[in-house]
Amino acid sequence: MEAVSSKIVNILVNGNNYEVTVASNDTLLTVLRDKLGLTGTKFGCGNGECGACTVLIDGEAVNSCLVLALNCEGKEIQTIEGLASSNGDLHPIQQAFVDNFAIQCGFCTPGIIMSTKSLLEKNQNPTEYEIREAVNGNICRCTGYENIVKAVSAAAETLRGK
Amino acid sequence: MAEKFSVIGKSIPAKETKIKATGECKYVDDLPTDLHVKILRSPYPHAMIKNIDVSAAEKLDGVEAVITYKDVPNRLMPRGCARALYILDPHLRHVGDEVAAVAAISESIAEDALTLIKVDYEVLPAVFDPEEAAKPDAPKIYPEGNVYGPQYEPLHEKGINAPTLLEWGDINKGFSEADVIVEDTFEVGPQIHAAVEPHICITSWVGDELTVWTANQVPYEVREGLAYVFEMPESKVRVLSPFIGGGFGGKYLNRYHAICALLSKQSGGKKTKIRFTREEEQTNSKRFLSKQYIKIGAKKDGTLTAIYFKGYADLGGYGNFFGNSGFWGEYPAAAYKVNNSRFEGWDVHTNHFTSQPMRSVQVPATVFSVESVIDQVAKKLNMDPTEFRLMNMPQTGDVMPPLPYTANTVGYPRAELEGYPSKKLMKLVKDELGWDKKWKGWGRPVEENGTKKRGIGIVYSGYEGGFCHDGFMSMAASMNKDGSINIMAGTQDLGNSSNMTMCQLAAEFMGIPLEDVNIFTGDTSIGQYDYFGARASRELTTGGHLLLKALEEIKQKVRIIAAPRLGVKPEEVEIKGKMAYVRTKAETDALKEAIPFAELITSSITAGASGEPGSVFPETAPGKKVRNSMVAGIEVEVDTETGEVKLLNMVTANCPGKAINPEVVKGQYQGATIMSLGYALWEDFVYDENKRAYLTDSFTDYRVPRAQDVPPLKTIVLEETPDRPPHEGTPYGAQGVGELGCWSGPAVVASAIYNALGKRMQKSPMTAEKVLELIKEGENK
Ligand code: FES
Ligand code: FES
Repeated sequence: MEAVSSKIVNILVNGNNYEVTVASNDTLLTVLRDKLGLTGTKFGCGNGECGACTVLIDGEAVNSCLVLALNCEGKEIQTIEGLASSNGDLHPIQQAFVDNFAIQCGFCTPGIIMSTKSLLEKNQNPTEYEIREAVNGNICRCTGYENIVKAVSAAAETLRGK
Repeated sequence: MAEKFSVIGKSIPAKETKIKATGECKYVDDLPTDLHVKILRSPYPHAMIKNIDVSAAEKLDGVEAVITYKDVPNRLMPRGCARALYILDPHLRHVGDEVAAVAAISESIAEDALTLIKVDYEVLPAVFDPEEAAKPDAPKIYPEGNVYGPQYEPLHEKGINAPTLLEWGDINKGFSEADVIVEDTFEVGPQIHAAVEPHICITSWVGDELTVWTANQVPYEVREGLAYVFEMPESKVRVLSPFIGGGFGGKYLNRYHAICALLSKQSGGKKTKIRFTREEEQTNSKRFLSKQYIKIGAKKDGTLTAIYFKGYADLGGYGNFFGNSGFWGEYPAAAYKVNNSRFEGWDVHTNHFTSQPMRSVQVPATVFSVESVIDQVAKKLNMDPTEFRLMNMPQTGDVMPPLPYTANTVGYPRAELEGYPSKKLMKLVKDELGWDKKWKGWGRPVEENGTKKRGIGIVYSGYEGGFCHDGFMSMAASMNKDGSINIMAGTQDLGNSSNMTMCQLAAEFMGIPLEDVNIFTGDTSIGQYDYFGARASRELTTGGHLLLKALEEIKQKVRIIAAPRLGVKPEEVEIKGKMAYVRTKAETDALKEAIPFAELITSSITAGASGEPGSVFPETAPGKKVRNSMVAGIEVEVDTETGEVKLLNMVTANCPGKAINPEVVKGQYQGATIMSLGYALWEDFVYDENKRAYLTDSFTDYRVPRAQDVPPLKTIVLEETPDRPPHEGTPYGAQGVGELGCWSGPAVVASAIYNALGKRMQKSPMTAEKVLELIKEGENK
């Protein structure tokens, strides 16, 4: 039973500034879900193995269950809640996941969509190999990945057309 | 009958996929709680608690309640088709079994409290092999013995060890008629459900009413079990299961629900939550581990004469959804047209954690061993293995089994197969895979290139993957004054779009737009019922059937109101598109005189449907039996230096009867097929007896398929529907779709390895290590 200290951390989440008091052992995942109420990011393993907790930190896809909140001072974080536009329109990646039947139970979906976002920001025209590589850290137990790969290609195509 | 449909047969994404994509969808883990629960788990596979002291844990700041076996009601909690359990028990039956539980204001305080609990254990001898555990001198996990007898003759209660039996013809005669006989034994490992969402439950009490939020496939089972164990009426237990992050047969009523509810009760009703860690999740439920003995005989011309099957299935310490062997036995009973067959299935408790179904009961393991021997028989006969199968497969219209049962401790009816185009599926897979060009005959791989050998395999499976037993479910529908429909379903949507499918059925049947249908599920306060829950696509086959029955009753009520106004008899009234009109007239004339609902009905009209009480296996279409058939083919490359099996190309062909939502159906097949490749190759389950630990308790050590692991996959869907009204039998002829995709993975990979190496895998999963072992074995099989 170690003593846990706490500290105030300033983070930018989906464009909003937050000042949060975090314990030294709090992960970013815990802070997002329990302190900021952003429950779209999921807990699947807590060990960095499943990708359900994927968010973007300064544009890079990371497993938020492995990131200490203390280390996020001044970072820009994007979560699944930051994707759809304020009028409720889905982001093209989200729309592509819906349209291509890439969502079954949906528990992996936010994480996979965030990994996709990170991929498509760097590579607008990924090959199937690159798509599979980009989501390889995200476990989906339901779909067999076929429709996820289709959805990512379709999203890339839509985004290229914009 | 070529019929035009407006809503079914169209691929429509489920409504909730939108909020799943935005993250707004609230799973149970996303709901608020006051307290967090942690469970102290047994470090021994078999032990008795001699003494337990929780006083220090209780005193820790932030701890609100601690329970041990001393605090639980002296009542066994019933579970559907499974052993009843005490909420906590001093007799511990597997590593990880529940010893005590703590509720505290934070997870970390609850964890700290666990370290303060002192326990003295009496360690007992343990047994892990189901065949060993079935022997009379094996360590006893239950006083009456470890064998759990047939479902409908629970002989274990009388201390009698007996298997589940299915038998027809005369097995000895069958083998005496055979020109060729092959016998072999197989060991098939378990598979862990490993949903991405861990098991979860939140409970709270207000006065004498209990509310439970849990990701669960069978909310009514949870209600029934908790109401019984807490001695309260079911009407005062409300179970909500809003969204489920993957089930696959793993999420049923279990102890953790009752533990959570008891802790919550002791802390004054506060919202109390259990969420399993990944380690707990990976050591909580699995598909059965099994040993199987198969013997098959055939005549020179390729006619099968006898199939004998004996299997031992490991239930683990408790098991879930029993009669497993019975369901296991359904496979041999359905798969081949053979006049003499005997199936003996032993369900045996061991000191492993619980086994439960996983996308069917034991079919992939059974298909693995039966198809392995079928291949070997074909080889002995020097027949093309696909032709050998084609000769012996049953198809639509055949009565199965071919002869009446002489023993049947499961209760399966003998009936005519419906929607079972097995031979067509076989031909589709052969063509797609290029079998005729690639298959070079026995002992000749497709290609050899240094240390790399390519092989090809095709296997077939047939089973009841959408069981339509409507005696255990109820559904209701309400037609509103504007003609729109509310469905109140006993069923549960597992993420397989069953709710959307149900809405499509209702819209089609009532002739209204899909947007006018809404469905309510996942909450026992809806007042419907489902004993078996979301398994084997029952949502569609049984739920859809009952829904259409209820809607037909609503139509009938409207017909009676409309008939005098139209001046005809009720049976001459057609109900469609929120109007009543005369069916016998030409449609254009009839529509001119049609009466809109707005002028016809003054209140909503409600109807419900449930099956015959007490019915066990009602046939939803008289004399017919819906069984699924599927054929899978694969090409692999085996590296003979490393044992690595590379998957090059896979094809499956599946029959869904009528595909109500075709892309959803395909998605179910694809997901299941990939899951079965994990089972075939990578999902190895390892228990270390010395360390008393499951070494596969993480996603790193237990490798489920990832996006880069899977081969190019072609999924063929072949519809075949019977000619009868949509509300008689399965709805519009739709069959189960969630399970069959996973039946063939291990079998088809083994078959292709056989072609590549000329040697037969007898163990699954076929990890590189096991394949290498096979390569190094001296003699050919
Ligand atoms: S929860 Fe973070 S990787 Fe699984
Ligand atoms: S949709 Fe269920 S885990 Fe991916």
